[in-house]
Amino acid sequence: MKSVANAMLAATVAGLVCWASSARAASDELIAAAKTEGKVVWYTTMIVDQAVRPIAAAFEKKYPGVKVEFARGNSGDMALKVINEGQARNRIGDVFDGTGTYSSIRAADMVAPYTPDSAASLAPEFKDPKGYWHAENFYYLTAAYNTDQVTAEEAPKTYEDLLDPKWKGQMAWAVTPEPTGAAGFVGNILMTMGEEKGMDYLRKLAAQKITNMTSSQRTVLDRTILGESPIALMIFNHHVPISQEKGAPVEWIRMEPLVSSASLIGLVKDAPHPNAGKLLIDFILSDEGQEAVAAAGYLPSNPNVKIPHSELLPTGPKPFKANFMSPEVVDENLKKWIEIVNKTFM
Amino acid sequence: MAMTEQISMNRAGAEAPSLPRRSRNPTFWLTAVLGVVLAVLVLPSVAILIARSVMITNPDASFGGLTIAHFTRFFTTTGVLTSTYNSIVFAVFSTVVALLFGGAQAWLVERTNMRFKPLAYMTTIISLGTPYILYVGAWLFLLGKAGPINDVFRMVTGSRGVLIDVYSMFGMVLIEGFLWSPLVFLLLSSTFRVANADLEEAARMSGANVFQTIWNVSIKMAMPAILALALFVFIRAVEAFEVPAMVGMPGGIDVLTTDVYKSIKETIPPDLGYASAYSVVLLVIVGILLYFYGKLAKNAGKYSSITGKSFRPRPFNLGPYRWVAEALVIFNFVLLLLLPLLALLWLALQPFMRAIRPSAFSAMSFHNFATVFSSEYYRDLAVNTILIGAIAATAAVVITFFVGWLSARRKPGGVVLDQLATAPLIFPGIVMGVAFLMVFLSVPVPIYGTLWALAIAYTVRYLPYGLRYSYAGVLQIHHELEEAAGVAGAGPLTMLRRIMAPLLSPALVSAWLFIFLIATKELAVAALLAGPNSQVVAVGMYDLWVNGQGGELAAFGLVWAAVMTCLAFVFYAFARNKA
Repeated sequence: MKSVANAMLAATVAGLVCWASSARAASDELIAAAKTEGKVVWYTTMIVDQAVRPIAAAFEKKYPGVKVEFARGNSGDMALKVINEGQARNRIGDVFDGTGTYSSIRAADMVAPYTPDSAASLAPEFKDPKGYWHAENFYYLTAAYNTDQVTAEEAPKTYEDLLDPKWKGQMAWAVTPEPTGAAGFVGNILMTMGEEKGMDYLRKLAAQKITNMTSSQRTVLDRTILGESPIALMIFNHHVPISQEKGAPVEWIRMEPLVSSASLIGLVKDAPHPNAGKLLIDFILSDEGQEAVAAAGYLPSNPNVKIPHSELLPTGPKPFKANFMSPEVVDENLKKWIEIVNKTFM
Repeated sequence: MAMTEQISMNRAGAEAPSLPRRSRNPTFWLTAVLGVVLAVLVLPSVAILIARSVMITNPDASFGGLTIAHFTRFFTTTGVLTSTYNSIVFAVFSTVVALLFGGAQAWLVERTNMRFKPLAYMTTIISLGTPYILYVGAWLFLLGKAGPINDVFRMVTGSRGVLIDVYSMFGMVLIEGFLWSPLVFLLLSSTFRVANADLEEAARMSGANVFQTIWNVSIKMAMPAILALALFVFIRAVEAFEVPAMVGMPGGIDVLTTDVYKSIKETIPPDLGYASAYSVVLLVIVGILLYFYGKLAKNAGKYSSITGKSFRPRPFNLGPYRWVAEALVIFNFVLLLLLPLLALLWLALQPFMRAIRPSAFSAMSFHNFATVFSSEYYRDLAVNTILIGAIAATAAVVITFFVGWLSARRKPGGVVLDQLATAPLIFPGIVMGVAFLMVFLSVPVPIYGTLWALAIAYTVRYLPYGLRYSYAGVLQIHHELEEAAGVAGAGPLTMLRRIMAPLLSPALVSAWLFIFLIATKELAVAALLAGPNSQVVAVGMYDLWVNGQGGELAAFGLVWAAVMTCLAFVFYAFARNKA
């Protein structure tokens, strides 16, 4: 299993080497073609007001005359849209992203390869050599606790700690069908402990009666902040400082190995606005687009872009181990993990 | 587009009496035109569902080859039994709660001399304008582990436990019952409003006390309407989605609709074949229920009490029991309106969702409201939603006015039209969303992702609701008025325009109001059909909910509920004047 720490280190080196090329803007021909098309339709999994709107605004400012339209949902919602439109030969969406979107729609052969100039700064692990996908931003998922209800000493530190009877009925997670939902937790356990020990652990964990939320990881963390579930599992660590700054009683736990995942952006096959789609992908992966990602509180994939809370990264001041849910791993296992979640925990 | 065509087709039908009556039978043509319109609207979505339920879903998400595997899986999965049981318990008890809360209030407000009647209407109208998500969210907060009710319980008893576990069947039933009691109130109040007061007065004069009169006369007279409505609410609760998803799923209680939802949303790629098979089974179950509903509704006419004679009811004197009625209405007001709105206000003023604590009061700000008012996005959501709601309500009311009359009067073909217009009831919203998505993607017209796609789907979804209003309304109007029109030489279409439409207008305006209000909060259908340019309020709110922006959701929800309430009051005043 690849460690993200190494990957990030490699990414930093690669980023420095490719600094010059990444700064290069999209070609004039592409920009002209995109302007002729006039708009791009983006099927995104990012949160609209936090990320999608500022990124779209930055894009429209840089390329006036190319309007960004978007629809937002989880990976499953977005994949369903792309697949349905493809079967009806009625294409609307140009660009997709998400942690699980790619593997579903690639299976339906509905992704077009495209390698933007700006992708040069990405580490090799975070882009497809043929250009079918590129990492748009990273996620690190772990546990968190309500600091009013649980002290730092009391809080679970390891996966074994979660089996303590005192946490029975006290935990919640999101069961969305993505590597960033409960399925990713299952995958992480199986990858770390092996099939047999892993399944044994998961069965014991199921006896702890975790609350299954069908909404996002953000609502799971909110439930913990509110005090309904003192412990949250599989929450995005970058959400914790955002809430802490508003005064919320919450802290995240370095429960190693964490789950790491990347939101993959790509071009839909037979997209109605292919050039505008390419231009948007190029922009989002560029330093400028990635600055907008970072400003939204997300963790950019481009190593050139600095973020305010470096402790959120495995390479930060307090390093941590994380299992990366690469597209290959997700492709191969996601369906099985979802089945385990459905059978064991629901 | 298609929608305006249907409306103009109906209009054209209404103009038909100017044609020579010898050569054609206007009732026949009306039936034929409506039959075509309804078939085009309703049948493709059913057909695509049945087709998908017996087709193999390939890994590349294409379809091909016939299979019965989806059905086999349905009948061999043990969880299905549990879900069926849960669905029945959930539907039965939430119907009882809704009938108790809404029915009692409807009778008291319409038929007695109690005070505070406006309070009851306000409670109903505002709760009808409040989107379910907002409402359920507020209740989950109030009844939740960290909510004020359990807080007070812990403070009083000193225990660390909870009084109410809201994520339970009990919580589901309570919240669903609360959600439906405004509908029961609205529908039954129109029944009680036109009930003949002579019989109640006769009972009182013959020496019956208040309770004997209510039990033996008022309730017995309304029984056909109550039974039909109970079955209607039961069916709607079987296909309910928001409460099972937001309350049941976190509590580990699955019902039939959440099973369908899971097979679509919690697997990648979505298991549409299994979901379709599941829906087809639901369709059969609901079909059977609807058969009984038809039998009940057939008897509803036997107490029809609007005749050509006077039909102004006089209020029933509760005497010394008046305060009981008033206490009940105030209790409803606090429970259904005041507490949830206060909870939402608390959440809207806080930077993040937190329990009600003195220490949190200092953190209050209008930041969430400022965001909502300054955002163009929210304005677009509101405009789109109002537009779609108005189109769907108008189309559904116009269509069901004619269908309701043809069906209630047992005209040839009326039963078929009734069944076509009632068929959408068998669709859980989420399944209807999938079915329409496929239909819109298969038609050569670029309708997917436009506001029209939503307007058409909403129209179909709310046909049964419009029909219940017009059907029940027609039943209340005695034959003799139509016979009088016939004797005076009017054709059926003239009669519909000059007699039926004016007499039915309270029911039709109520239907419009109701459909508009519930269409503007429709989520399950819109979630799949809304495109980048056709986002609506409910979907926007759902995004905020799943994103965990509870504060902004509460702020936007309060503003939206206020706007909808103003609209609701305008229409209500209109309905009142007409009546």
